[in-house]
Amino acid sequence: MAGAAAAGGIGDKVDWRLAAPLGLTYLAFFAAPFAILLGISFYADAEQTRLGLDSWTKFYGDAFYLKVILDTLKLGVFAVTATTLLAYPLALLFRAVGPRAQRVLIFIILMPLLTSVVIRTFAWIVILAREGVVNQTLLALGITAAPLNLLQTELGLVIALTQIEMPLMLLPLLTVMNQMDQNLVDASRALGASKWRTFFRVILPLTLPGWVAGATLVFASATTAFISQSVIGGARLVYLPALIWQQSMVVYNWPFAAVASLTLLFTVLAGIMALGWLGRFARTG
Amino acid sequence: MTVTTRREFLAGAAALGFASALPSRASAAGSLTAAIYPGTWEEAYRGVLAPALKKSADIDVAFDSLFAVDQVAKVRAARGVPPFDCFVLDPGPAASAMQAGLFEPIDASKLTNATKVPAGLITSHAVTCNAQVVGIAYNPKKFATPPKSWADLFKSPYVERLGLTGFQTTFGTVSIIEMAKVFGGSETNVEPVFAELKKAVEKAAAVAAPAAMPGLFQQGQIDVMYTNTNTVATLKGRGVSIEFVQPETGAITFQTTLHIVKGADNVASAYKYMDMAISAEVQSALQKQPYNMIPINKDVQLVETLDIKSVDELTKMVTHDWTKINPQRAAWIERFNKEITK
Repeated sequence: MAGAAAAGGIGDKVDWRLAAPLGLTYLAFFAAPFAILLGISFYADAEQTRLGLDSWTKFYGDAFYLKVILDTLKLGVFAVTATTLLAYPLALLFRAVGPRAQRVLIFIILMPLLTSVVIRTFAWIVILAREGVVNQTLLALGITAAPLNLLQTELGLVIALTQIEMPLMLLPLLTVMNQMDQNLVDASRALGASKWRTFFRVILPLTLPGWVAGATLVFASATTAFISQSVIGGARLVYLPALIWQQSMVVYNWPFAAVASLTLLFTVLAGIMALGWLGRFARTG
Repeated sequence: MTVTTRREFLAGAAALGFASALPSRASAAGSLTAAIYPGTWEEAYRGVLAPALKKSADIDVAFDSLFAVDQVAKVRAARGVPPFDCFVLDPGPAASAMQAGLFEPIDASKLTNATKVPAGLITSHAVTCNAQVVGIAYNPKKFATPPKSWADLFKSPYVERLGLTGFQTTFGTVSIIEMAKVFGGSETNVEPVFAELKKAVEKAAAVAAPAAMPGLFQQGQIDVMYTNTNTVATLKGRGVSIEFVQPETGAITFQTTLHIVKGADNVASAYKYMDMAISAEVQSALQKQPYNMIPINKDVQLVETLDIKSVDELTKMVTHDWTKINPQRAAWIERFNKEITK
């Protein structure tokens, strides 16, 4: 969004016809179904016979569903936090090493993207299970006496999502990190700033646009990661995507599913907008 | 010497491509698209039924792999333009699809194998293709004595190793109903079991999606679950230590049925497809490893790996009326969501 606005300022005249193919496709295959979705949400009953706000009031009047929204947002925030904490050190390392090592690192970072999300998720079951790699190691080392329960917990899900979503955070961050002027970092150090001060006052503000892009991608895909949430999270952790699937496919309550879908859309959008606002704030401040 | 331009070459290549594609389509007497459950069912129908149908009636089958609930949702969403010709459904989704008017009526006289099937298995809108038997599965290496009843699942040492799943599948729903009966409930009253579930869930090894259960069992995350004989035989075939137990109050049985989708394009082929599915040839192949499906054709000699002795045994098992269950299921699912979550 911010990129499009910037491009508009550079050229004298924008040829909107260039956007026509994608624009029309979006209109036909996104805007129209979206209107239908919105329409369905205003049916009061599962059989779609009468109009009313019942589905909306049922969803927003129930503490359980409000908690589902909150849990979904929380999962997104956790995934962004964890990927950020792991991605920044790696990005700094990437910047410091030579081109050959960079190519190896890029390959390692991209590798998870080359396998299907289903495979990656099932791999995590093998790793986190009671008799999985983590527990076997902990037991063998005598760190724990009984196997830890990692599957079907929020912690296990965040661990798995962190690995699964990591490339989405790293790729934009690496690009920005590589474009950053080394002279600014050197100047900061030469003027007596400590390594930490340089990081927080120079590197972090300069790389923030890359982080915002990465955080947006991680947030959006972690909150909507249906497969990982249902397979690793299990039935005790209910998030919006699983709720939508259940209401539309098993219960056939499409109005209620529509309300949940729109809620997911708007909460994710709100999260993205908050990140965008953060990015703008950083550049002007 | 003739010079071939790039354009002519491409046209020729395209024509060749078409020519090679044509004969295979033109020679088939018919074709259809059938929905099929992902996993064992898809392997079975792709590997056994499709070649048999091609050989006997020269019909090509394309499969659309979808769970029962997804099939019904897809046909409902298509609003009169069916995405496939044939359903394969469990009783719950079949009852709701029937109610929504998504089936064409069945004319049993068009099925040559209709007489080989016990009475009642071919109805006005459904052709039963296999039976499923649901009970308790456990890991014999982890317990000295096997669990005997549904109530045992809520007691130590079984509850600590139990994998729980809710009402979103047919086997999950009927299993929980049977547990409710043990604690004083009935087919329409699962109230008593919720109190027990609430206690059990704190101790249980896992509460997970139904599709994740076999994987969790294989990984040793759980050692007791409620499931069908089909899954038990498949896991056993993969070397997993697992045994099936019929609970004291009886194992549960329900039928998997084939239906013609309302407004289907290939009705004649769909009849041939269903007829082949209930034939002795296909049914006896599908009861073996790795498919393990319980046959309903009376001519089929049952193999040992199935955990049941005869087709007649099925008639003594517990069955359920889904027209009574379906209206309550949404509320049960919601309740399970709310009370079992953390």
